[in-house]
Amino acid sequence: MSTDAGFIELNDINMRFGLPAEALPVVLQGIDLSIAQNEFVSIVGRSGCGKTTLLNIVAGLVEATTGTVTIAGNQVRGPGQGQGVVFQQHALFPWLTAMGNVEFGCRKADISKSEKREVCRQLLDLVGLSHAADKYPRELSGGMQQRVAIARALALDPEILLMDEPFGALDELTRIELQQELLRVWDARKKTVIFVTHSITEALILSDRVILLSPHPGRVFKDYQITLPRPRIRTDPAFNAMYQEIWEGLSA
Amino acid sequence: MKDWLSRYGPSLLVFVVLLAAWEFATTNGYLKPYRFPAPSKIAMGFVEIASEGFPEDLTIWVHTRTTVGRILQGYIAAVGLAIPLGFLIGAFSTLEKLTAPLIIFGRSIATLSLLPLVIVWFGTGELTKVVLIGYGCFWTMISNVIAGVKYVDPVLIRAARTFGVSGPALFWRVILPAALPRIFAGARMALGVGFMVIVGAEMIGTVEGLGALIMEARNFYRSEITIIGMLVIGIIGFLIASGLLHLEKMLIPWDTGLDEVRR
Ligand SMILES: Nc1ncnc2c1ncn2[C@@H]1O[C@H](COP(=O)(O)OP(=O)(O)O)[C@@H](O)[C@H]1O
Ligand SMILES: [Mg+2]
Repeated sequence: MSTDAGFIELNDINMRFGLPAEALPVVLQGIDLSIAQNEFVSIVGRSGCGKTTLLNIVAGLVEATTGTVTIAGNQVRGPGQGQGVVFQQHALFPWLTAMGNVEFGCRKADISKSEKREVCRQLLDLVGLSHAADKYPRELSGGMQQRVAIARALALDPEILLMDEPFGALDELTRIELQQELLRVWDARKKTVIFVTHSITEALILSDRVILLSPHPGRVFKDYQITLPRPRIRTDPAFNAMYQEIWEGLSA
Repeated sequence: MKDWLSRYGPSLLVFVVLLAAWEFATTNGYLKPYRFPAPSKIAMGFVEIASEGFPEDLTIWVHTRTTVGRILQGYIAAVGLAIPLGFLIGAFSTLEKLTAPLIIFGRSIATLSLLPLVIVWFGTGELTKVVLIGYGCFWTMISNVIAGVKYVDPVLIRAARTFGVSGPALFWRVILPAALPRIFAGARMALGVGFMVIVGAEMIGTVEGLGALIMEARNFYRSEITIIGMLVIGIIGFLIASGLLHLEKMLIPWDTGLDEVRR
């Protein structure tokens, strides 16, 4: 591992679904990315440009056609190498309560049942849901479901949090609330986050860095460092200037 | 009590009025008593069949016990076979492709059309009846088990994989619970099939059982007894289905499907 390599390294990732003979379109082409530890990176791009596919490759859920992903120097060969995932739809297990779902995520074999329960209770507390521990997913609002999904991903105690438009289906107020919450969690637990969104505002509120993907095939098109001081204010002129710059990049 | 009355009172009233009209029409010659036996005649028939039996010594309780026994034997055998097979087929797509035509084929053959063949194979004894019921239940059940497994939301499997859950653990902890609502729906449908087949299955080689009772009553022009047989089949079908629904609510409390339907 070279000294200047990032925590997460994507080396020349190319992706095309199906068999070569099927000649399906190339989804991702020549993706090179280097992400530092504890960095909060957003990936922004039009629908269908390969954001979910890219995230799934880093998660180890989908294998790239060519190219490698490494985490702390180790090549990703599947899930469970420190990647926690929050999906676009909450993907909670409907037959488990909020607590049950978080416990499902807690895979530590070396702690007792009661310790495990305590760890999970703290996680539910962290996302502000200790009062809903015994509720089933269908009894929770969309925002609460996504909070449980975040707590469940955290239960794995992952170094990396991969989030695929996790707030995309929520109303704006809940969305803003959850963005604040996520920043708080990120602060408290120090994670490296890759966050997919199609909202420029959301990317700017959250990230250290915004990466634009261009469609057909998906390629890294622009890479912005966001140096605005936190907490970010939507009405700040510097914020708006940055928004404008990314918007122009996206429309180019 | 008051709630109960305001909720069921009106429909109960309709029911009573209908019965009264029916009684009136038959006793006054507007309806042929043989075609439409009066409610009082049915009630008397019931007393007879509950105490003396029809035919001789075979009371309604004996018929009911026999029929329930046959249905449960066929049903439980079918469900017990269909669940593991369905899981296997649903879990492996090649197996699913291989068996799909067979399952559609088997399901399409009306159960009672097998009667002559099954008699040749198994005679006219108990086994024939149980096999026919089991045959009918089996295809409905296995189709539902396969669908339940096959259509598990892939995002749930994906989520489980991010926690390193795979292989047998994936099956027990994700696929099985995710498929349960559909499996229960299949179990309820299969039970319905069992009750539909019973009269036909009891047509041959027996005078015992509700189906046999219905056919036998016809031979003696006792249409009130045919009606009693029908009613009892309906009632026990309803009772067993309610029990199953209860079990379902207990085993899958997370499922909303039931509430939506019952609302
Ligand atoms: N399993 C798959 N098989 C074939 N094509 C796929 C599959 N998953 C995604 N794609 C295709 O890859 C492209 C990118 O999809 P996706 O990564 O979901 O985009 P995004 O998340 O940016 O909207 C789309 O054109 C989509 O049709
Ligand atoms: Mg997507």
